[in-house]
Amino acid sequence: MQTNNNNNNNNNNNNVFEVENLNLWYGKTQALKDVSVKIEGRKVTAIIGPSGCGKSTFLKVLNRLISLIPSVKISGSVQFHGKDIFSDGINLVNLRALVGMVFQKPNPFPKSIFDNVAFGPRIHGKKTKSELADLVENSLKKAALWEEVKDRLHEPGVSLSGGQQQRLCIARALANEPEVILMDEPTSALDPSATLKIEDLVRSLREQYHIIVVTHNMQQAGRVSDNTLFFLNGELIEADTTEKIFTNPKDKRTEDYITGRFG
Amino acid sequence: MPELGDAKKIQLPLRGQRDAYIADKLTEGVKKSHLANFFIEKFFFLCGLTTIVILVLILGFLLDKSWPAIQEVGLQEFLFQTRWMPSSPIEAGFGALPFILGSIFVTVGALIIAVPWGIFSAVYIGEVAPFRLKEALKPLIEILAIFPSVVMGFIALVVLAPLIGEIFGLTSGLIGLTGAIILGIMTLPTIISIAEDAITSVPNDYREAAYALGASRWQTVRYVSLPAASSGIVAAIMLGFGRAVGETMAVLMAAGNALSMPVREILGLPFPTLMKSVRTLTANIAIEGSDVAWGSLHYHSLFVLGLILFIMTFAVNLIADIMLTRFQEVNRNE
Amino acid sequence: MNKKDRQQAIWFTVSGFFMLMTLAVLAAILYSIFKSGAAVISWEFLVDAPRRNMTAGGIMPALVGTFYVSSLTVLIAVPLGITSAIYLNEYARQGTIVRIIRLSIRNLSGVPSIVYGLFGLGLLAATFRLGTSLLTSALTLAIMSLPWVITASEEALKAVPASFREGGLALGATKWQTIRQLVLPNAVPGMATGSILALARAAGETAPIILTGAAFFLPNLPTALSDRFMALPYHLFILSTQHTQIERVRPLAYGTALVLVALVLLLNMAAIIWRYQMRKKQTW
Ligand SMILES: Nc1ncnc2c1ncn2[C@@H]1O[C@H](COP(=O)(O)OP(=O)(O)O)[C@@H](O)[C@H]1O
Ligand SMILES: [Mg+2]
Repeated sequence: MQTNNNNNNNNNNNNVFEVENLNLWYGKTQALKDVSVKIEGRKVTAIIGPSGCGKSTFLKVLNRLISLIPSVKISGSVQFHGKDIFSDGINLVNLRALVGMVFQKPNPFPKSIFDNVAFGPRIHGKKTKSELADLVENSLKKAALWEEVKDRLHEPGVSLSGGQQQRLCIARALANEPEVILMDEPTSALDPSATLKIEDLVRSLREQYHIIVVTHNMQQAGRVSDNTLFFLNGELIEADTTEKIFTNPKDKRTEDYITGRFG
Repeated sequence: MPELGDAKKIQLPLRGQRDAYIADKLTEGVKKSHLANFFIEKFFFLCGLTTIVILVLILGFLLDKSWPAIQEVGLQEFLFQTRWMPSSPIEAGFGALPFILGSIFVTVGALIIAVPWGIFSAVYIGEVAPFRLKEALKPLIEILAIFPSVVMGFIALVVLAPLIGEIFGLTSGLIGLTGAIILGIMTLPTIISIAEDAITSVPNDYREAAYALGASRWQTVRYVSLPAASSGIVAAIMLGFGRAVGETMAVLMAAGNALSMPVREILGLPFPTLMKSVRTLTANIAIEGSDVAWGSLHYHSLFVLGLILFIMTFAVNLIADIMLTRFQEVNRNE
Repeated sequence: MNKKDRQQAIWFTVSGFFMLMTLAVLAAILYSIFKSGAAVISWEFLVDAPRRNMTAGGIMPALVGTFYVSSLTVLIAVPLGITSAIYLNEYARQGTIVRIIRLSIRNLSGVPSIVYGLFGLGLLAATFRLGTSLLTSALTLAIMSLPWVITASEEALKAVPASFREGGLALGATKWQTIRQLVLPNAVPGMATGSILALARAAGETAPIILTGAAFFLPNLPTALSDRFMALPYHLFILSTQHTQIERVRPLAYGTALVLVALVLLLNMAAIIWRYQMRKKQTW
C-alpha cells in the first residue's frame, strides 16, 4: 500500500472529480447550470445551499443514479479519476460500487443487519462465508456500529434506532470498498446526539475515503468539511476551503446565505 | 473516536497511482452485463405485450369466425330480423334482434333499479354514516360482489322468481324483470363504490363554501357534491352497463329464455317490455354453444353474436374509461 | 324544525332505507343459501359421487374438478400476470406502448366471460385441437383472469418503497438484481393475495367452462389435461335448471350452492386476513 508521500511522479493534482460545464435538465426545467468544479480527494467536501438548488441532483450525477430518471438530459463532462463517466462503455455497476451513496432518510433493506451490510459484496460476487463475515465486521467497525450490534447481527435492520440505521447504511456502502462516499443530508432525519455520532464518523473516515456531504446545516458544514461548495438556483456560486467560505466569502450571495440573511 | 482502533485502516492512495485501476474498473465487463440486461429487459417486454396480443387475438378471431356467417347471411339479417332458427333444415333464420333487444332491455331495467338504489346507498355511506359504520359497510358491500353469478342466478330462480310470479299473478316468474332485478343487484356494488368514491373525492372547499352559505348537509350533497361527482357517477353507470350486458349465468337462469321479441303491442305499437320471458345474447350463446356442430353455419353465427356483444361492451367501457380519466384529471387539477 | 332540516331528515332517511335494502338483500341471499344448504351438507355430500341419476349422493367430482381447473388457471395466469406487471411497473417508460398495454388490460377486464368462452371454444378447442378439456378451460379462465392478476401485482409492486430500489442500485446492483432481491420479495404478499382472489373468481366462473370443457356428469375423475371435468358452478346450473326432476334435486342444488359460496367466501377471507397479517409484520 502506497502512502501519499510518493505521489509526485506523474500526476500532481489530487482531484477525484473534475466537472466541466455541467448542465442538467429535468424535462424542460434546468436544475444545474454550467457547473464547473474540481473536487479534491482525501477531503470532506460539503455542499450547501437552500433547498431546491440542485444539491441532490449534483450528487446523483456523480454516481449516475440520475440516469434512472428518463426525463433527464445532461451536457458537459464529469470525470472521475480522469475518466468521463458519461462516455460510452462505462460499467455503472462498478461505478456505483466505487462511488457509494448514503441517503437522506435511512433506507435499510427489510433484511437482517448482516444481510444489509453483505448485500453489496454478495452482489459483486464475494461468496465465501469467512470473507463476508470479515467484511461485514470491518465495515460495521468503520461505521462505529459494531459494538452496538455485534450480538444481534441477525435481527432486522429496521429494528435499529434512526441513527443506528443511518450508520448501518454507511456500513453497507463501506462494505463495497468504495473510493468515494456521497452523503445526501445524512443527518436531517436524526436527533442531535445521533447527528454528532455521524459527524464524528465522517471526520474519522476522511483519511480513507473521499467524502462529499450535502447539508443544509451550516454549522455541520463548518464542523466536518475541508472544502465547501455553495449552490444557488442550480448555479455553483462559490467553491473554496470551508474556512474561506465561512470567514471570507468572495460572493455577496454566499455571505448572505452563510449569515442567514437569505430568503 | 469510537471503536476505530481495531477496524482495518487503509490509506487511500492519491490520484497518480489510482487512475489506471479506476479506469480499468469503469470499463471492465461492460459488454457482458449489457447483453444480460438486454435479454432480461426484452423478456419482460415480451411478457408485457401479452395483453395486447390477447386483445388483438380475440377481436381478430371473432371477426374471422363470424365472417362465413356474415357473408352467407348478411349482417342485416342478424341485426334487424326477428326469427332465430339457425339450424332449421327447411328455412334457417338468423334474426338476432330479439337477443340484442333482450340484452339491452334487461340491462337498462337493471340500471333503472340499481342506479337510484346505488346512489342513495353511496350517499348514505359517504355523507350520513358515522365513520365506524362506514368502515363496516364497505366490506359488506364487497361481499355482494363476490358471489359467483351462477349463485345469483340460483337465488333468482328459487327466491325471486316465485315472488315475482305471485306478485304479478304469472304461472312462471322467469321473466325479463326477474333478470333485471338480479342483474341490478349484481351491478349494485360497482355503482355504490364508484359513486361513493366520486362523492368523497369532491374537494372539501366546495363543501365548506356551501356550508358557509348556510346550506344544509343534504342540500350540499344534492346541489354540490352530486353534480360535481356526476361525470364519475355516469362513468359508473356505463361500467355497470358494460358489466350487466356481458353477464351470462344470472340472466340465463332468471329471465326465461323464450325466443320472442321483448315487446308488447299496445294500440298496434310495439312497446318494450320486461314482463315476458326474455333471452339475451349471452344466454343464447351459452345455451347453444355447448352442443353446436363445429364449423357449421350455426357455429359461425354464434360468433356473430359474440362479436356484437364484444363491440357493445368495448364501446361502453371505452367511453366509461375516458369519462373516468377525465373526471380524475379534473379533480386533480382542483 | 325548519323546512331545510325537515328536507334533510327525509332524504337522509331515504338513503338509509336504500342502504338497509342493500343489506337486506345480502342477508337474504346468505340466509337462504345457508339455511336450506346446511340441511344437506354432510361429510358424505362432500366425498360422494352423484348417484341414481344425480338425485342422490354428493358433489365430490365437481369439487375436485373445480379444484383442478382453478388451480391450473392460477398456475398459468400468475406467472404471466406477474411478469407483465414487472414490465409495466419496473421496466416500461411512459409512452405509446405502455398506453396501449394499459388500454388493453382495461378492455380485457370488460370483455364478457361468455366471449372468453367463445374464444376458448373456437381458438383453443377447435383450431388448436385441444378439444373441450380441462386444459382448454383452464387456459380460457387464465386469459380471463390475466387483467386481475396484472392489476393486483402492479399494486403490490407499487407498494414497495422506491428507496429500496434506489438503495440497491446505489450499491451497484443491476436492475434485475434489485428487482429480484429487493423488490419482488417485498411484493410477494400483495401478489399472493391478488392470486387468491383471482382463484376465487375463477372457481366461481361458469359461462366460459360451459363452452370449453365442463361436463354434465362423468363417472370418473379427470386423469389427464385432455379430459373433460365436472365443476361446482356448472353442477349447480345443471341441478337447478337442466335436471329432469328439478324439484327433487333442489336440496342438492342448495347444498352445492352453499359449498360454492363458502369456498369463494373462505378464499376471499383468507386473502384479506393474510394481507392484514403481512401488513402487520411489514416494517416499512
Ligand atoms: N425527479 C425530478 N423531476 C423533475 N424535477 C426534479 C426532480 N428532482 C428534482 N427536481 C427539481 O430540480 C431542482 C433541484 O432539486 P434537488 O436537486 O432535489 O434540490 P436540493 O437537493 O438542493 O434540495 C428542484 O427545483 C426540483 O424541483
Ligand atoms: Mg435534496
